[in-house]
Amino acid sequence: MTAELVMENPYLPYPVKIDDIIIENDAKDLKTFKLVFEREEDRKRFSYLPGQFAEVSVFGKGESPFGIASSPTEEEYLLFTVKRMGTLTRELHISETGRKVGVRGPLGNPFPWERLKGKNIVIVSGGFAFTTLRSAITYMLDKKHREQFGNITAVYGARDPGELLYKNVLQGWEASGNIDLILTVDREPNNGWRGKVGLVPNIVKEVCPSSENAIALVCGPPIMIRFTVPVLLELGFDKKDIILSLENRMKCGIGKCGRCNIGARYVCLDGPVFTYAELERLPAEY
Amino acid sequence: MQQGVIKKRDLGKLIAAVTAASSGRRVRVYAPVEGETGVELREVTANTEITFDYANSKLSGKGVFFPQREVLCTFHNDSLEEVPLIEDSLVVFGIRPCDALSFKLLDKIFFNSTSRFKDPYYLKRRENSLIIALACREPAATCFCTSVGGSPAGKEGADILAHELGDKLLLEACSEKGSGFMKVISELLREPEESDLTESSEQNVKAGERLSSLALSGIKEKLDKSFEEPDWDAVTVTCLGCGACTYLCPTCHCFDITDEENGRREGCRLRSWDSCQYPLFTLHASGHNPRVNKKQRMRQRIMHKYSYTVENSGDIFCVGCGRCITYCPVNLDIRDILNTFARK
Repeated sequence: MTAELVMENPYLPYPVKIDDIIIENDAKDLKTFKLVFEREEDRKRFSYLPGQFAEVSVFGKGESPFGIASSPTEEEYLLFTVKRMGTLTRELHISETGRKVGVRGPLGNPFPWERLKGKNIVIVSGGFAFTTLRSAITYMLDKKHREQFGNITAVYGARDPGELLYKNVLQGWEASGNIDLILTVDREPNNGWRGKVGLVPNIVKEVCPSSENAIALVCGPPIMIRFTVPVLLELGFDKKDIILSLENRMKCGIGKCGRCNIGARYVCLDGPVFTYAELERLPAEY
Repeated sequence: MQQGVIKKRDLGKLIAAVTAASSGRRVRVYAPVEGETGVELREVTANTEITFDYANSKLSGKGVFFPQREVLCTFHNDSLEEVPLIEDSLVVFGIRPCDALSFKLLDKIFFNSTSRFKDPYYLKRRENSLIIALACREPAATCFCTSVGGSPAGKEGADILAHELGDKLLLEACSEKGSGFMKVISELLREPEESDLTESSEQNVKAGERLSSLALSGIKEKLDKSFEEPDWDAVTVTCLGCGACTYLCPTCHCFDITDEENGRREGCRLRSWDSCQYPLFTLHASGHNPRVNKKQRMRQRIMHKYSYTVENSGDIFCVGCGRCITYCPVNLDIRDILNTFARK
């Protein structure tokens, strides 16, 4: 038992290298970091599914949890989209490619992939919470997986067009014809916008995706979630078929440090993915 | 060997024997000594004066296995280096039965839980430990262990339970590890006499009678249904949010992880005790805070101990040591808070 534990210290990050940095938005405060493992065995051990998260470290500056934006089908690297907010994220933002950082994970539970098989999937997202849904969509659109799912409809909104993440990937998805992608922005931009204009919950109402044999994955800021869930319920989605991903401040990510709990559940260990039915039973401390 | 009597003045010899008898592994002994601000658990040698004059130590024993501040790993130029885990054997003498029980509870968080994640720093120390608890003769007015499943002579979490009988101690093995240890020190022990056993059991009964008792049956359910009650405002109105209750609590285990760096790209990652009573504890990067006021934070502290852990592992995470009552700067009393909701 002891030998195994010495090897598996859940607090120690795997060494990774920043292989590429993509500026995602006009405000330039969102960057996607492409990380590659320094050791092949770590890459193999880091086995994850869309919906999970990991702690990204810059040594000496700290670590923070981020949803994994890459899909396991993108085998060679991990992607994390990070907004510049505090000490660690600032340090990441001023880093150059080639820098050694750390990744600890994968942590938390993925979206319920066994349950999602054979279903129509409705994705609703706003702002930069789109990360794990990029992972989910990439995973589902992969040749090996696409036929396991029915129709895929995604409503994704941002303040304005320049704030939408993964612009190149979005174009590719649209072109593929394998997904109904509805992009929306909060206000009418000056020119050249072909998508919708309006807040995400309103656009969901307008698009009116069928709840027939469908499951909804919803990630976004709390205010978007608060107004989207009633729309989905009205469309006939069952509470257990509305899947949300939560965030709370975390340190350990492994259910010990005691801060990310909502009632008796830990977001890191029991989440971050919860059904609306589960959340409804918990106190509103998130 | 299940029972034996040792003279208090022979404790130095015991410590000398224990620390010498190691098989390559260093043995550290912790025992209560008179400190500057009260009785504290400290690493001792054969010559240290151990005190018996205390209801309980000011700080609990949790720091032996879960130090207030500990290095998880170090860095040098963006490379990580592991720190060796503590291999020493740790003998803890003289903690009260409530603190011994707290180790059993902390074990559930750090390695015994259903989670696949074990905490190697805690586990390594705990694996190589021996707990000699000291039964309480005179519990403090703030003690309430019997209300939460403990006892002044409780054996849970202890390998040996010692009973203080004047100038001697009656030792009683409570685990295999404990009887093994008694064998090792058998030369310092004599067989107990009938009078020793009678005296110790009389003491236990007397100590139990001194304890305040709370009617806590169904407290989890009562708290759960009172989550939105305005009583939470009333019971926390005087709280300063200082967090002393959580630092002193033997079962509070919340921690922070932070990095320190010397400016030459060398540094370490630290784990340090943290407290749910601070607003920063749950503050999101966005500025949103799920527990923004002290009512929510106090409710978290009480619910965590009396509801959430009961739901998750079946245990109340309070051992009734009363430290949070004794040292609260505004005299908040967890018993009053519990009574408020127990009456519901």
